[in-house]
Formats: sequence, structure tokens, C-alpha cells
Amino acid sequence: MIAQAAADSINVAQNVGFGIIAAGMIFAALCVVTTSNVVHAALWLVLVLAGVAAQYILAAAEFVAVSQVLVYVGAVMVLFLFGIMLTRAQIGPEKGLNNRGWAAGIPVAVVLLGLLSWAILDAFEDTTLPDRGPTTTSRISDDVLHPYLVPFLAISFILLAAAIGAMVLARKD
Amino acid sequence: MIGLVAQVGDWPTPVVDWHALAPELVLIAGINLVLATDLLLEEGRKWATATLTGFVLLGAFVPVVTLAVIGGDVRALFDGRYVIDDFALILKALFLLTGYVVVLMSQTELEEGGYYQGEFYVLLLCSVLGMVMMTSSRDLVSVFIALELLSIPAYMLAAWRKRDRKSNEAGVKFYLLGVFASAVLLYGMSLLYGATGSTRFDEIAASLASGDLIGLQIVGITFVIAGFAFKVSAVPFHTWAPDTYEGAPTPVTAFLSVASKAAGFVALVLVIFTAFPTADGVYGPLVWVLAALTMTVGNVIALRQTNIVRMLAYSSVSQGGFILMPLAFVNSGDAAEPALKAVVVYLLVYGFTNLGAFAVVIAVARKTRSGAITSFGGLISYAPGLTVLMTLFLASLAGIPPLGGWIAKFNAFKAVLDAGSGSGYALAVVGAVNTAIAAAYYLRVMREMWMNDPPDGDRAPIVTPAPVATALGITAAGTVVLGIVPGLVLRFADLQDLTGALGG
Repeated sequence: MIAQAAADSINVAQNVGFGIIAAGMIFAALCVVTTSNVVHAALWLVLVLAGVAAQYILAAAEFVAVSQVLVYVGAVMVLFLFGIMLTRAQIGPEKGLNNRGWAAGIPVAVVLLGLLSWAILDAFEDTTLPDRGPTTTSRISDDVLHPYLVPFLAISFILLAAAIGAMVLARKD
Repeated sequence: MIGLVAQVGDWPTPVVDWHALAPELVLIAGINLVLATDLLLEEGRKWATATLTGFVLLGAFVPVVTLAVIGGDVRALFDGRYVIDDFALILKALFLLTGYVVVLMSQTELEEGGYYQGEFYVLLLCSVLGMVMMTSSRDLVSVFIALELLSIPAYMLAAWRKRDRKSNEAGVKFYLLGVFASAVLLYGMSLLYGATGSTRFDEIAASLASGDLIGLQIVGITFVIAGFAFKVSAVPFHTWAPDTYEGAPTPVTAFLSVASKAAGFVALVLVIFTAFPTADGVYGPLVWVLAALTMTVGNVIALRQTNIVRMLAYSSVSQGGFILMPLAFVNSGDAAEPALKAVVVYLLVYGFTNLGAFAVVIAVARKTRSGAITSFGGLISYAPGLTVLMTLFLASLAGIPPLGGWIAKFNAFKAVLDAGSGSGYALAVVGAVNTAIAAAYYLRVMREMWMNDPPDGDRAPIVTPAPVATALGITAAGTVVLGIVPGLVLRFADLQDLTGALGG
């Protein structure tokens, strides 16, 4: 009974936290697509991705959250900013960033949002978060080295191929 | 600390069947070998990497043959996430052979064009490794990783002619649409995992069959099928194909249009047969519409093409429609078994025939330096051998007996008619109309070769390099033999193996 009540209160706190972070993410995501400065867009995207990491922590998936910060907020965003600096002369607000047909995307986005929200609400309406115990990190490592051994090996060759191909294509000759 | 040690003790050492994984392991060793050898070779001797790559692919073929000869039980590794059965073996053989033929076709192109050779073959081997893994994957994670492993090298191979704007365009378009498709696919997979609680295909199938489908499952299935539809360039997801095929180096185009496409179909077959066989209310109409649109739109646009590679590109889009056709009726009547056979036979026949057609295009373009269909004019007067072979390949693509393409089309139609439903007959009619339309543009090339005069009056004979000639020999033999004795491969497409291995 007490455990049940405790679980409920955790869910309430988590729901409030989820709502606040989600609102921040939506605002940041809107800024990504509306700002006229590419560097600002990249920085707003940092906020969105950090919000995702925060959501993972709320869901008690701390390993995924740390990976999210390391890979996306860290590596991918730095790569993004480097890419902008190396390839563009102008770092400031500019016009003509939007595709001319951008308005046609709105109905598609709205329909997709409605469809996905309906599907997810329909499936998980009253489900409460399961209590998974303190850590899942060791389970992830067990899974990677046992049932998912073949895809884990394959990933190293994806990275190898990407590195070789990038060098050939980017090389000046 | 004690808890940590206890958890480490829980980890079960994976039992690995090394014989079953031998084709992949040979390829992995080969990738490293080619990469290291390329570093040691001087600039003038880089051609040796092509020979080495050929041997690696043939070396990987050996365990596939021994596995097939030993036969016996289906080998399931990692709790049934990685399965070696007859279906996997025959398609592994197809991908390795396709890779070998593409190496033969690339060799002279790369040498004469002054492109990077060692890196090209390493990427090609990585892509083939992804395809070989795809055939055995019975798990969402494995399928996705295999798809990325086969696609990412292909994006870069398409842009290999760095100094050519068209090739850059080919690479960028293929890459952008490819990663977009991957994102859609991955999102669909995450929804399916959320709705069914497993990444294993057999458990997903059991979960989907256990009650009415909920919205989340329907959306997940739709996204997964749409993601793979990009890979097989089904209409309306085909827009990248013609530009990419035209801009990429021709051997890469052959590789994309055969191997990469076949791998997409393998993934589609696996998800439809093993993961959602009972959800035919969702994928049935979806695949029906995709198949009908793909055949028709591909054909109608192919009619108007004046460039041979673009024509073959649209023709391969439309051939994809025929391969999709039986997949719409996997769960109706007795159509499951013939549908699987039809798809496997079609993939094999189409692989040989289309590779052969591209090999002829490469051989002819070496002399004419042109991609126009009119550059084939009067081919019979100075290259009778190539003309006969091209006629053979085009006739097979058109489905004229007794060539392989005829058997492939016959099986596809039989599978659709076996479904015994009105929608099946309707799709068969669409297919029949399209077969007739397709014959028109294949015959146009034949007429050009046999009836017309050379556009520039140049009748100097074509010298076909030995590797390309070998490629032509292999593909022609495959096209003819599969047409006459299709029973050779039909044995391998056994439905019992595919679903039985998973307890389905």
C-alpha cells in the first residue's frame, strides 16, 4: 500500500517534470526552425537534445541519458558548428534559408502530429512507469555482448566505411 | 561491489556456431586484408586490390556452399536473432556473386578513370557484408544495422566520380533520401518495439497475432514498410533512383540496382513473412498500391527515356513492382508458399539479367562514350556478340520464354492468382498490362541494335576487357540456366524453414 502510494507520488513528480521539460523542448524546437541565423538554430538544437537527455533521466535510463549528452550534445553539435564555420563565409542572420514550399509542410506536420499522438495515447493512456530497479547499464552491456553481438560487430564496420569514404570524398586532389 | 560481481556472473557466454558465421567472418577478414594491402601497394599496382577482392568474395562463397551441402537443421544463433536457413543461404550466394560480378565490371573502369581503387573495394566489401548479414537477421536491431551497413558505403560509392557534378548530385540525393528513409524506418521500429515489447521477429509476430491490432502497431508497420519502400525504390519513394543511377559510375549503378535493391526486398520479405504475417489488413493494401503504382509509373516514364542508363533505372523501378506484387497476398489462401518462391526466384533472375545488361552498357560505352540509346545503333554490324547478349538480357527483362525473366514473371503471376481473391486478379491484370508496356521499350533498344545504322558510321570493333567478358559470361549463363531449370533454386525458398525456424 505504501509502495503503491510512493509509486503514485513519483509518477506525479515525474509527470510535472516531464511537462516542464517538454514545454521547453517544444519552444526550442520552434526556435530552431524559425530563427534566421544558422548558428542560433544549432544552439537551440542543443537545448532540444539536452531536453531529450533530461527526459531519459526521468525515465530512469541514466546510461542512455549520458550517451545522449556525450554523443548528441557533445560530438554531433560540435561537428555541426565546425561544419558551419568551415563551409560558410557568413555567420549572422540571413534571408533565403527557408524552402519556398515551406507552407506545404504545415498540413503534413499537423496530420502526422495528430496521427502519432492518437496512436501513442491510444496504446499507453493509463500506463504507469514500471519500477525497474536501480540500474539498467549492466543489462545493456550484457545485451550488447550476447544477443546483439552480430549487430555490435557490424557497427564497427559502419564506422570504418564512413571514415574511409569521408576521407576519400573530402580529400583534395 | 558484491552485487556487481554477481551481475557479471549472470552474463551467459554466447554460444557461437563458427561454421554458420563463416561467410561473414571471411568477409570481415577480407575487408582488413584489402585495406592493409592497399597501403603497401605502389600506385601502379593498385589493380591487385581488385583481384584480392574477387578472391575474398569467392572465399566467402565456400562456407555458403558447405553449409548448403551439409544442410540439415536450421542454425539459429543468439536466441533466433541470427538464423542460417536455406532462404538465407541462397540469398547470401546471390549477394556474394553479385559483388564478384561488380568487381569484374569495376576493374577496368576504375583503372582507366583514375579513381581510388583500394578504398572502393573496401567499401564494396563492407556493403556486401551488410547484405550478407541482412539475409540472416531475424531481429529489428540486426535488420536496421545491416541496412545501414549496406547503405552507408553505397552513398559514397555513388559519389565516387568526385570531379563530376552529376556523380556528386547522385551521392547527395541518395544520401539525403536514404537517411530520411532510415529515420522513418527507425521510428516505426521503435513504435513496434514499444507496442509489442520485443525486437525479435517471432515474438513480434506472436504479439501482433494475439488480438486486434491497435493504432500504434498499425502506424509502426506502415512506417517500417514505407522505410523499406525507399530502399527498393517503390513509387512514390523512387525519386532518388534515376538521378542516382545516371550520375553514379556505371558499375556502382549496377550494384545499386541489383544488390542494394535485392537487400531491401530481403528485408521486406523478412518483416512481412516472419514479423507481421497476420497483419495483412495493414500491409496487404499498402503493398498492393505500392506494387501497382511502381509497375505503372516506372514503365510509363521508362518509355520516354533517351538515355540507356536512365531507361534501365526506370525499368528496374518497374521490375520492383513485379517483385512487390506477391508480397501483398502473403496471408491469403495458399499464396504464402508460392509468394516466397516467386520473390526469391525473381530476385535471382533479375540480379543476373540486370547485371548483364549493365555489363553490356559498360562495354559499349567504352567505345561510344555516350549514354544515348541511339549510340547502340547498328551494334550488330561491329559487335555481334554484345548485340546477341544484350538482346538476351532485354528479352529476359521483358519476360520472353525460355529465359529466366519468363520463369520469374510466371511465378509472380501464379502467386498472385493463387490468392484467389478479386484484388489478386485485379493486380494480375495491372501486371499483365505493364508487361506489354515494358516490352515496348526493350524492343526499341533491340530495334536500334539490329535495324539501324551506327550514328557516326564508325564500325571499328569493340574490344571487351577480359573481366567484363567474364562478367558477361556469368550473367548470361545465369539468365539462361535459371530459365530452363528453375528447380535448381526453388528448393531453397522453403517457407517451412523461414517461419518454422522461429516457431511461427
